[in-house]
Amino acid sequence: MEVDAVSQQAAQSVEQVGSADLLVGLLADLTKDELGCVYESLRALPGSPRVVVLQNGPAVSSPPPPTPDPWEHSSPVALLPWSPVADGAAATAIESVATAYESIFSSGTKLEVKAVCLVASKMEDPTSGWVCRLVQPLLAGDFDLVAPCYARRRFEGLLNNSIVSPLTRSLYGKRIQNPMGPDLGVSRKLFEEVLGSERDLAGGGGLRLVARLAPVACRDDFRVCQTYLGSRIYPPLDWTNASALLTEILGPVFLSVEKNAARWQQTRSSALITTLDEPAPPASQGQSQTAVDVARLINTFQLGMRDLQEIWRLVLPPATLFELQRVSPEKFRIPDELWVRIVYDFALAHRLGTINRAHLLRSLTPLYLGWAASYALETEGADSQALTRRLERLSIAYEAGKPYLISRWRWPDRFNP
Amino acid sequence: MWKQIEDALNQSTTAFITNSVRLLPGIVAMILALLVSLVLAWIVGLVLRRLLASVRFDEWLVRWGLSPAVEWSPSRSPAALVSGLASAAVVIAGLLIGVAAFNSELTSELIRAVVAYVPNIVGAVLVLLVGTIAARFLARSVLIGAVNLNLDYARFLSAGVKVLVNVLAVAMALEHLRIAVGIVELAFGILFGGIVFSLALAVALGSKDLVTRSLERDVKKPVREPLEEPLRHL
Repeated sequence: MEVDAVSQQAAQSVEQVGSADLLVGLLADLTKDELGCVYESLRALPGSPRVVVLQNGPAVSSPPPPTPDPWEHSSPVALLPWSPVADGAAATAIESVATAYESIFSSGTKLEVKAVCLVASKMEDPTSGWVCRLVQPLLAGDFDLVAPCYARRRFEGLLNNSIVSPLTRSLYGKRIQNPMGPDLGVSRKLFEEVLGSERDLAGGGGLRLVARLAPVACRDDFRVCQTYLGSRIYPPLDWTNASALLTEILGPVFLSVEKNAARWQQTRSSALITTLDEPAPPASQGQSQTAVDVARLINTFQLGMRDLQEIWRLVLPPATLFELQRVSPEKFRIPDELWVRIVYDFALAHRLGTINRAHLLRSLTPLYLGWAASYALETEGADSQALTRRLERLSIAYEAGKPYLISRWRWPDRFNP
Repeated sequence: MWKQIEDALNQSTTAFITNSVRLLPGIVAMILALLVSLVLAWIVGLVLRRLLASVRFDEWLVRWGLSPAVEWSPSRSPAALVSGLASAAVVIAGLLIGVAAFNSELTSELIRAVVAYVPNIVGAVLVLLVGTIAARFLARSVLIGAVNLNLDYARFLSAGVKVLVNVLAVAMALEHLRIAVGIVELAFGILFGGIVFSLALAVALGSKDLVTRSLERDVKKPVREPLEEPLRHL
């Protein structure tokens, strides 16, 4: 993907700079103070690498006025206004984020940087120099992918905690807490590898590049680490439509599972990865203390049970459907083993094209909300450590269920319990 | 008198034999055309089946959301259905060519009429096929979307969409076949309008309480900000 295709302004900003050691893309809408914190922490990086910071700003239709040489003050950090998405180019929040990622990677190639850092979140403590924690392992530690670890809160990152992270751990053997970031540090070697494979592959939805980062890094033995960043403030994006979100996120994830099938079938167990810095102190539950309307979630699950049987029958084996029917609304629990089999069966159906892929992923919504309800009931009053233990149990269930996935993947017709 | 009867019989027999003999080349030509078309149909079917299998036609249809085509095909293989249809078309074409070999005015007229009607039949079949597949696809989309929106009458909405699209497809197919065009148009208008009206009525009556409560709340209670969604998915 060419930068020019994304935004004329972004392309011009990049061309003015020429080259750099590090590219930092600020996708989050930072305040002046927060921006100052990022700027100062980047200036203090050891070795004074030349850093280009692309700061997200409103798109402009006319070309920007010529700016003076960004390095003229002999500062190692050049701050450039940048609009990754042309007006009307992206329809949804996820699409615009995905376009921004692609644009930053392309800009990184043009600038011939050693690494790229993507900043899509705001932290509760902006003075902690958390951006540098994503950057330093790339510049000093020879790592290729730096994934973030955030302070655990009960209802934050549910899709990541319930599917993306444990699936990555189970399939690719690396215990990455947030494989899809969204704040990431990526070496040029890795993102060029991902961009290269991207040219050969079509489809997969908006976030396909980000979804492929961790699998490609694990598959090709790139060096992966994660670092604690603290408590994250969630952007006020309209991502509450779980159905659209599942399609946008799981489409590329399942596609990646399909593309890397030969590799993950050989991986037998998972291993810890290098984790830098100290874990953040147990987070206050903040936004997550708000009571979740569990009844609404259970209601959606039950509606799905009543009305989506004809679709689920094409995807789930009879034993799984039977177990789902036995879930009682009074004592609502979806066992981990059952949830894991559901996710694996949907990944398989995605590969086989059993039904239209958009239909498939959207029909997972009631099951996902059912899992969320079960999780909410189980973790009532749980602290950060209890949450970690709960999610660890789920990850172990994913690993234990992997032989089931392998059997169904190899013999989808014959192995159908 | 016997002589006259004998002559008449001889003439009739001669005429019959002559006519029969005159028909013989046509019959032979028709049998030959039929045989050739059967062989051609077999070859076309075989080649098409292998070609479609090599491009994974069945899997592609499912990926495009056309899984109903799979369910309705012989041996659950749309490739087999397509190759079978192509073979049948070749046989029918051979039969028509064979009949044309008789070279009589009647058969020519008949063939002309049949051939002129073939595009209508093909068009109607295509319209029906596409309509049915579209109906299934749209019904499934509506069903999933409605369930995800927590609508209690999701299945009802989905069934309504399916019936509407199917009715539309049947009406279009009948118009293609030029069967009672006026009646079909009228019946379609009444039926389609009736279905839409009954759906609207049913949904409106079904959500009567909801609307009443909503209006009462709006009038009696102060406007309240919607609760913040506490679930953060990614």
